[in-house]
Amino acid sequence: MIRTTVALAVLAFVICGLIIFRPFAGDDLAARDPLGARIVPDVEVTRAVTQNLEALTRPAPVQAPRRVDVTRPDTDDTHLSDMTNNVLAELGFAGVSPVTTNSQAQRQSTSDILAGIEAATGQQSVLEQRETLEAIVIAALRAGESDETIDVIVNQAAAAGTVAVPEILVTSDGRVDTYVLLNNIVTQAQIAAGGAAPGIPQVSPDEIQGMEVHVVQQAAVEVQSRFYTVQTGDSLGAISIKFFGSIKHFETIFEANKGLLSSPDRIRVGQRLVIPQLES
Amino acid sequence: MRHIVFLTVFSSLMAGTGATAQEVRITTFKSDATFTLNGQTFTITRNQDTGATMQGEFARTSRACPPDCLQPMHAADGVVTAGELEVLAFLEQDVTDRRGLLLDTRAPEAFARGSIPGAVNVPFVTLGPENRFRDDILRALGATTAPNGTLDFTNAMSLTLFSGGAWSSDAPDAIEHLITAGYPAEKIYYYRGGIQAWIGVGLSVQFHQTPG
Repeated sequence: MIRTTVALAVLAFVICGLIIFRPFAGDDLAARDPLGARIVPDVEVTRAVTQNLEALTRPAPVQAPRRVDVTRPDTDDTHLSDMTNNVLAELGFAGVSPVTTNSQAQRQSTSDILAGIEAATGQQSVLEQRETLEAIVIAALRAGESDETIDVIVNQAAAAGTVAVPEILVTSDGRVDTYVLLNNIVTQAQIAAGGAAPGIPQVSPDEIQGMEVHVVQQAAVEVQSRFYTVQTGDSLGAISIKFFGSIKHFETIFEANKGLLSSPDRIRVGQRLVIPQLES
Repeated sequence: MRHIVFLTVFSSLMAGTGATAQEVRITTFKSDATFTLNGQTFTITRNQDTGATMQGEFARTSRACPPDCLQPMHAADGVVTAGELEVLAFLEQDVTDRRGLLLDTRAPEAFARGSIPGAVNVPFVTLGPENRFRDDILRALGATTAPNGTLDFTNAMSLTLFSGGAWSSDAPDAIEHLITAGYPAEKIYYYRGGIQAWIGVGLSVQFHQTPG
């Protein structure tokens, strides 16, 4: 028994020795890089090289997008262009006829369902009137309110949860972007009156805070990539106007940044968005 | 406003059975189920043609999955799964007593092509959170608005939900939406077999058509 134990102990000792000293391993193996070239051992690395740690330049801390969840207004799938169209139609713009917004379609189908339930139960059911952004804007424009007052009225209604707004109007700090709302009314009114659609503005990083342009030489072609870091108060609609002149191309921006934005209203300060070039 | 035309076709295929007693009964001691819905009386029987087979849309066995994937027996915790006899009992008791409602959760077009007599069409999407008018539907089903603004389901009706068949997620989705909205699970029943199983055993079907 003892002999067996001693034999095993010796065997273990020998194996350990072999592992540690590796007498049969080629010494030069350790000094070769994976491609087989012999590493010239003339560079001596000592701790002295990095002694002066303070002198090292520290990289600037990368600012991560703020993850703070702001309270956002309720949104729905009504398109801003449909809503604007109906505002213009209601205000009597020539050549503009109202369209059925998603909200109205939903109201209609709900009304059909209620009629079905009513027929079955004999109980009268009510489809409550809800305030809509469309109605608020029409009333404010009719009353000749200033842009500032419209901003206050719309944001109060959104904060109180009484209206839902199109997603592209939601700003990075959880407000409703009435600049985009009003700008789009003007743009669509101009187009309805036979005017031209706004052109794509020439923008440069000097004028737009948060914009970056990276130029990459690919073969003979120079490829320009544009980026934009979301600022406080930006909405996707506003970014679209900034780079493309109107809200028409918000989808292009949204599609290019789907990995970052789960929906057009989930825009956050500090997010770095790709601004694609429009296909000409 | 939707005008519903009832074209009940049950017992139209009783050819050949003559004046003899019914050959195809619901159970040994039950030949039909009769219930009233808002003053209207419905009678459900089975097709008396013993040679009848499934035809058309619901004879199909292999709908693509996804989206039409087989559903589990239990739709949600607390929701009881029903078969045809339970659905008939629900119509005869709960629906007749105005305590319950049978909901067809398919799209309006599918509902118009034929549904269980007495069923009311509430497409599952309209019960989803995206429908800003959902609370109006829930109130029509008996929920009331509590003083603090939330919905109170104490007097809400018991519901039996169904859709196309065991391969349809419409009814389970509708059940999920209802429970998320606060509807008590113990007031909800799930008829998993749906319209396909219903037609498959020759039970009466009601057609709803919108003129124009």
